[in-house]
Amino acid sequence: MSIDGLDPVIHGPARLRIMVTLATLPEGDDLSFSRLQDLLGLTPGNLITHLRKLEDAGYVITVKSGAGVNARTSVSLTYDGRVALDRYTAVLRQLLDAAASPPPSST
Amino acid sequence: MTDGADEEMGMDLQEASAILQETRDRARRALVVRRPVLLAVWGAAWLVSDGAIWLSVRGQRPYNGPTPAALMTLSAAIAAATVFAVIYLGRAGSGVGGLSVLQRRVLLLSYLGGYVALFTLEAAIDHAGASRAVIGVYGAAAPVLLVALIIAASAAVFLNWSLLGLGLWLLAVAAGSGFAGPVTVWAVSALAGGGALLVMAVIGLRRDRS
Repeated sequence: MSIDGLDPVIHGPARLRIMVTLATLPEGDDLSFSRLQDLLGLTPGNLITHLRKLEDAGYVITVKSGAGVNARTSVSLTYDGRVALDRYTAVLRQLLDAAASPPPSST
Repeated sequence: MTDGADEEMGMDLQEASAILQETRDRARRALVVRRPVLLAVWGAAWLVSDGAIWLSVRGQRPYNGPTPAALMTLSAAIAAATVFAVIYLGRAGSGVGGLSVLQRRVLLLSYLGGYVALFTLEAAIDHAGASRAVIGVYGAAAPVLLVALIIAASAAVFLNWSLLGLGLWLLAVAAGSGFAGPVTVWAVSALAGGGALLVMAVIGLRRDRS
């Protein structure tokens, strides 16, 4: 099946799960790196790699705060990221609908 | 733990759709505070506590106030609801920061501050020589007024019309219930206050399922 039109940055299992999880939070909220890792079951290195790709695309922001035992890395979805996920979801639905509908008759 | 190899392999449309739906459901279960659940717990606590007080005062002529057993029931119901809320909100809010957390803390602080003010004012009314009946009406209606205002403020914060409706309803209950007298005011508060929260909880839970 064709995946034309689907954002390639989001269209990977781990990155899709990261985006969807962060989109569950209301705008203005963030999630700690450790809770995100816990929810997704990814290794720290793997999560960092995918977050970097999403950050490069402008879809997420990671912010480090505090120091020592109080150090916290928080991750949040940007406005562009939320829009991109909405678009990805809409395109995915269209593609699935198109795949499910019978091909037009040639007669 | 998942390694990153699968990322380069991509996925087909059905797989993407399944991951999207499953992740959304799991994230909602883990991160979203379901307001109907909290309304159900606090509505039940309210119904039980004010209902217990009404049962303890309903035969009193003149009104003397609730019995120690009724006050213990009230304390136990509020304690149970508080413990549940702390655990529930703690689980959902673990690792979550930002605006909604701040909003929730401000509302909680306002609520606690409001309760301290209510009890202080009740002591002042008692000190000024108010009758047991007046203190009874105040003790039942004033907390309803506080809850109504906090819920109405929450409606403004979260832009939720259902909450605004509930807040306005509770304001009407607070304002009107006192006319029922020091005994019946407890029954009115239990049914129209706690009952309203339970009705809202049921409506919300049904909406969540549909």
